[in-house]
Amino acid sequence: MHYRRLLVVIAVLGAVTLAACRRDAPPPPAPPVEQEDPGPDLDSLRAWEDSVQRAAEAAAEAERMAQLQAEARATLEEMVFFEYDESRITPQAEQVLRQKVAILEASPQVRLRLEGHTDERGSGEYNQALGSRRAESVREFFVQMGVDANRFETTSYGEERPLVNRSDEEAWAQNRRVEFVITAGADAINPPSD
Amino acid sequence: MPRTPHPSLLPPSPFAGGLALLAALLLLVPAGLRAQDVEERFPGVSLGITYDGRAAQTLAIQPFSGPEALASTGRRAEAIVSRDLRYSNQFQVVDSLPSSLARADESVDYAVWDQLGADLLVTGRMERGTGGQAVLMVELHDIVYREVVDRGRFPVPDPDSAEFRMAVHLASDAVVEWATGEPGIAATRIVFVRRMEDGSQDLWVVDSDGENLRRMHRQSAAEGGHPIATSPVWAPDGRRVAFVSYRSGLPRIYELDLDSGEERMVPSPRTGDYITPTYTPDGETLTFAITGGGRSGLFSYNIRQDCCFRNLTEGRHEDLSPTWSPDGRRLAFNSNRLGVGAPQVYVMDRDGGRPELLSPFRYDRPGYYTSPDWSPRGDRVAYHGRVERRGEHQILVSELGRGNRVARLTSEGVNEDPSWAPDGRHLVFVGRRNWGRGLFIVDAATGQTRTLVSGMDVRYPSWSPSFQTILAEDR
Repeated sequence: MHYRRLLVVIAVLGAVTLAACRRDAPPPPAPPVEQEDPGPDLDSLRAWEDSVQRAAEAAAEAERMAQLQAEARATLEEMVFFEYDESRITPQAEQVLRQKVAILEASPQVRLRLEGHTDERGSGEYNQALGSRRAESVREFFVQMGVDANRFETTSYGEERPLVNRSDEEAWAQNRRVEFVITAGADAINPPSD
Repeated sequence: MPRTPHPSLLPPSPFAGGLALLAALLLLVPAGLRAQDVEERFPGVSLGITYDGRAAQTLAIQPFSGPEALASTGRRAEAIVSRDLRYSNQFQVVDSLPSSLARADESVDYAVWDQLGADLLVTGRMERGTGGQAVLMVELHDIVYREVVDRGRFPVPDPDSAEFRMAVHLASDAVVEWATGEPGIAATRIVFVRRMEDGSQDLWVVDSDGENLRRMHRQSAAEGGHPIATSPVWAPDGRRVAFVSYRSGLPRIYELDLDSGEERMVPSPRTGDYITPTYTPDGETLTFAITGGGRSGLFSYNIRQDCCFRNLTEGRHEDLSPTWSPDGRRLAFNSNRLGVGAPQVYVMDRDGGRPELLSPFRYDRPGYYTSPDWSPRGDRVAYHGRVERRGEHQILVSELGRGNRVARLTSEGVNEDPSWAPDGRHLVFVGRRNWGRGLFIVDAATGQTRTLVSGMDVRYPSWSPSFQTILAEDR
């Protein structure tokens, strides 16, 4: 049988070849131990996916909070303006101050310096007193809204630090103001709680 | 004694004749403003200026003489004296005369000066004193009585040195005192605040004749502070200046020692803004306002002993800008105790008591009167004010003890923050014109006004005491 002979020849050749290979090749790795596949670890995968999502959510939340804090800070620092030779809180100023109150209530560590300013008209020295009265009006408003008076210090620059250095009605209107300087708790500003 | 001077000798002057004088006075009153209008707008305010009726004496200045080596020094001294005497507003000054009017033997030809129409004559001669220093010999002659009124010798340093002008001003002030019995103001300076383009405000100083303008003190601000100074005031000894600075972020009062350049801050044990300082006449104590916190008041602090806060007034209103009478018994200050937006000037006894209203308050037209300054003569208080809510501020002077009669000294532009010269006759103030701000000097006796500093943003002037007395103490 040709086929049988051929098979024998192939078998011999193969054995020789194998023998030759064995001489040079490194020892074969240990055959893998066959185990039963337990299937994917769903719990840890879920946990991993959850944590990734949570991280993304936290990042988004942190960004949102940072955004809200930045907005809250901007609201805290927003100036309020006054009528000529007046220290009364105008309705527009009251709106701004009410927003500040909500932030101050949510941010108990925040302290503010209220800086009163006037326009250039009137006596320079008397304007220092007028600016002082404006700052005091703002503090009184906060106190009436229930914020602790000790969280504020007031000072006045009178007409010495104009926002707009011109002599016209528009400039004067912008110079009659109280500015808000955060003196403590700048890193603990919370947006108003709803 | 006043006579009409020789016309050829006189430059054109508002005092050349009664009519010209009257015309000049009328020019000081705003067009269209009648006496009745003034009474309407400024209740209790008399029309325009209160004019001192005495005609000014004609004072001639004979060209200064001396050795050739000192000729240029002499010419410079003569120019300074001439202008000082003109700025005193006490004389009709006739100067820049031909040198041939001075005789070679230094004697005075009274007949010639009499013919020329002079009442008084100033002669000056530069000499070398012992040690080689230049000395200015000055004589004041009464031409009518043909005698020497008084004479003095004034050492002058090199004409290019910083002290030269002040040394010559001392001679000018001596002449004024010999002639009138009143102190001169040539040897004085004015401290004020100048605002720069970047918003910083430093103390600057200028001689009373507008020369020697320079920065006196530069602010350095801490973090959160601002290089802004306000409200400087001279100590009575002329060696210190107190002022307010925002350098720490809060307004506090500092005292600058002009000899050493050292500064110190008035302590601030009480919260609030420390503003508007003034010295008591003995120079020992600073009086100032503390505002803010819902309660404000006037306080004193002994700067010499560095102790002892004393409370003078306190209330929910603001009292500020205190100024002491020269005898130290009373103080005037500004207060809104009658209502916000209508500050008035009050006078109070040193030991307290009820403050009396000084400014011309009227119930339905309260006005706005601020920044008082008590005259060193003691008889008047200057301040600025307006009647209408949006009216312009003008310089007003209340005479004490004469029904508190009020005179108005300015009418052009906006005028604020008056400060008396040591003669109690001249005032420096901030004027705002359509061309900008400047410091002006007005003679309360004649209404004559001159510009001291212009072309810069200036505020809060304070006139020094006379260096005549300050420098005399040094010797």
